Amino acid sequence: MLGKAASLGGDVAGVLLGSGVEGLAHQAGIYGAATVYVADDARLEAPLPQPRVDAIAQLVGEQGIETVLFAQSILAADIAAGLAARLDAGLNWQLTDIAADSGTLVGKQSALGDSVVVDVGWKTTPRIGLFRSGAFDPVERATGQTQIQTFEPELQEFSLAAEMVEQAHAEESGPSIEDANVIVAGGRGLGEPEKFGLLEELAKALGGAVAATRAVVDAGWYPYSTQVGQTGKSVSPTLYIACGISGAIQHKVGMQSSKTIVAINKDPNAPIFEFADLGVVGDLHAIVPKLTELVRARKS
Amino acid sequence: MTVRPVDYPPPFAPSEAIAAPTDPVSQRIEVGVLIVGAGPAGLACAIRLGQLLEDSPETAERLGEVPVAVVEKGKSPGSHLLSGAVVNPRALRRLFRGSPLLDGVPTYGEVHGEAVYLLTKGASLRIPPPPTMRNHGNWIVSVSQLGRFLAEQAEAGGAAVLPETDAQKLLVADGRVQGIRTGDKGLGRDGTPLGAHELGSDIVAKVTVLAEGTQGHLTGAAVDRFGLEGEQPQIWALGVKEVWKVPRPLRHVVHTMGWPLRKRARYGEFGGSFIYPMGDDMVSLGFVAGLEYRDVEFSVHDVLQEFKTHRLVRKILAGGERIAWGAKTITEGGFHALPKRFHAPGLLLAGESAGLVNVPTLKGIHYAVESGIMAAEAAFRSLQRGESPARPGAFASYDDELRASYVLRDLREVRNMRQVFDKGFLVGGALASAMTVTKGKLPPKEFGSEANADRTLIRTDRAARYPKPDGKLTFDKLSSVFLSGNRTRDDQPSHIRIQRRVPRELAELWVNMCPAQVYELGAEDDDGTVHVDVNPSNCVQCGAITAKGGRLTPPEGGSGPEYTLT
Repeated sequence: MLGKAASLGGDVAGVLLGSGVEGLAHQAGIYGAATVYVADDARLEAPLPQPRVDAIAQLVGEQGIETVLFAQSILAADIAAGLAARLDAGLNWQLTDIAADSGTLVGKQSALGDSVVVDVGWKTTPRIGLFRSGAFDPVERATGQTQIQTFEPELQEFSLAAEMVEQAHAEESGPSIEDANVIVAGGRGLGEPEKFGLLEELAKALGGAVAATRAVVDAGWYPYSTQVGQTGKSVSPTLYIACGISGAIQHKVGMQSSKTIVAINKDPNAPIFEFADLGVVGDLHAIVPKLTELVRARKS
Repeated sequence: MTVRPVDYPPPFAPSEAIAAPTDPVSQRIEVGVLIVGAGPAGLACAIRLGQLLEDSPETAERLGEVPVAVVEKGKSPGSHLLSGAVVNPRALRRLFRGSPLLDGVPTYGEVHGEAVYLLTKGASLRIPPPPTMRNHGNWIVSVSQLGRFLAEQAEAGGAAVLPETDAQKLLVADGRVQGIRTGDKGLGRDGTPLGAHELGSDIVAKVTVLAEGTQGHLTGAAVDRFGLEGEQPQIWALGVKEVWKVPRPLRHVVHTMGWPLRKRARYGEFGGSFIYPMGDDMVSLGFVAGLEYRDVEFSVHDVLQEFKTHRLVRKILAGGERIAWGAKTITEGGFHALPKRFHAPGLLLAGESAGLVNVPTLKGIHYAVESGIMAAEAAFRSLQRGESPARPGAFASYDDELRASYVLRDLREVRNMRQVFDKGFLVGGALASAMTVTKGKLPPKEFGSEANADRTLIRTDRAARYPKPDGKLTFDKLSSVFLSGNRTRDDQPSHIRIQRRVPRELAELWVNMCPAQVYELGAEDDDGTVHVDVNPSNCVQCGAITAKGGRLTPPEGGSGPEYTLT
């Protein structure tokens, strides 16, 4: 995102908030930040939004920052919303891109189940934007000198009222489907729930995650948290391997922004072949284990 | 084996939808008049009440902080409204008499010309419109847009319109209706609370008006509780419609009869199509078929797709694009199936949920508005000093007014016209003509109808006739549901009650009947019965399942389709 911001013209700064994070500042420079503001503060250790709203609001005021962009995460969404309220600023979310159109910033927002892209703007500054995760690829830009400026955030008393009691992770072996670069997804064509084992093996070999269609989640074959589609999650991994998925539009809208879509299905008329980058007509029960084997062999 | 849907009743008793208030008195939400359903009937009622209360501030004051409230299960008013629609403007004129708002009613203009065709597979014969189908001077509308407009006017008149609020139970205590209970939100599939669980509330009111439209959930319970069943069972048709953007304007309204339906009485296929212009660049087209049909392979969704392949229709849609889709049942029992009374202590019934639909003229919206206005006036009278809405018979004047009005006079004239089509298209057509000419006096005999779920099932090779979806002119059900804007949360409890293990014929009937692909054939047991898999989140709440042996209940508020143009 720093790279994208740099491409829009104007001064780009990164903000780094946390405890024991100062060492990371130079990395922001590699990706295009001319300045990195760093607040290294024990009170910023817990992933709580309000202290960060304080810190960023302070920076916006002191440095006259006109645009604040966030990459989607639960914490970022909380901060962006808090900041918008604090500064009485406009917030556009679910952005997939941004461009400078004769001096005006125009965001691209995906709407109506990803069926249309809407141009959105801001009436006032500061402008706040929240981007979908995976919207941009990181681009290294050798900008030369990056200026690192540390600052002391003034935190409001009410911002420190919340305290992190415990942080726990859901038990998962691999990455979640939102974070995964590779997703292996299964539909009703698997035939039976046990066959998800095949997909898990392949996902493991590729370092990816397993996703499912609504039909199989409904049938209780796989957990709801892995459902991709209109009423599940929207994902955009680098590689999406759809196994035994017909490609109804309800599924398509949740995964069509994947960079490369590979479909394995025995029905040559399945709609998924209309938008897959690579289509394999065949029996997934034979193909998937072979594929897993090949990936493993290549890796070792 | 002879299979009838009625022999596999759903696990649902009307009494489940009736309860006494349970919230502590201090936590109940108190309103003056509570209206269930933000459609033409409910909103006309709210608007009329606003007008009456404005002129009578002392009555408004006695009704408390919220004199009028409208609850609506859809995401917003209009989300669940779908019709053709050509509206007789008579009742809207009365509602907005003397107000500039009348000019603000969103319409696509008046009907200037019309054509009625009798279709065969390869040809169309233009016939003179029967008197019941003459539409000059009527307005073309999207009822979804009309609903949004009426909701704005109701709010401007002081009513609280509460969308995303499903009325699950009718509150009855001491022999009178006291209000409704809204549904819980945030329950998991098995009914256990999820993180965002929110309990429903008791909303108590001095008067409750049920204006739920087709297949009213609470209306059904009230009819059962207060013994209001009509002489004859209620019956329904299912309508599936699409809105198309087209390059060339259509200048007149079109109705067709005949193909793709089959004429013989044994199939029980009765219905027809409509094609209406919506301005210069859109058309609304749909197919309506009575749910007395018997063939397990019959599917109104796919009959509409088949219909679009006719040359007459292709020409209208050529170069166009489908932009909206939806489905809904239509109450068709008419005069003979009307409830015995349109009221009970504390309760008024209005609009389509009270059965006020005229099938031969294809109209009901003006009856909905008219009955909503009358319900408002009856409620208002009962709230005057010295009266009590709970007094038995307090609303008798509502019945008297309805019966004396054109609403029931019209319905009486055409009372047998729908039923005679059980005899097939030709005999039915001849009898219907006689009724039209004599204003219902001839033939001197009353015709009955069988409940939709009582019809025995047959199977012919009907499905072989449906065109294969090409994604341009013809579509599959899932693509259609997507266009309805339905984004219902998948992990909520199922709101559809059916027997889950039934004979194969019945399972196939449901699979084919449902325009939204809610039902799927599951595993077959050794005894030949099959499991029915249900995808409740596809449901657009058309209500066909209630007519054919199941029972639809309201899903979590805010679920279902999000119609805007239908």
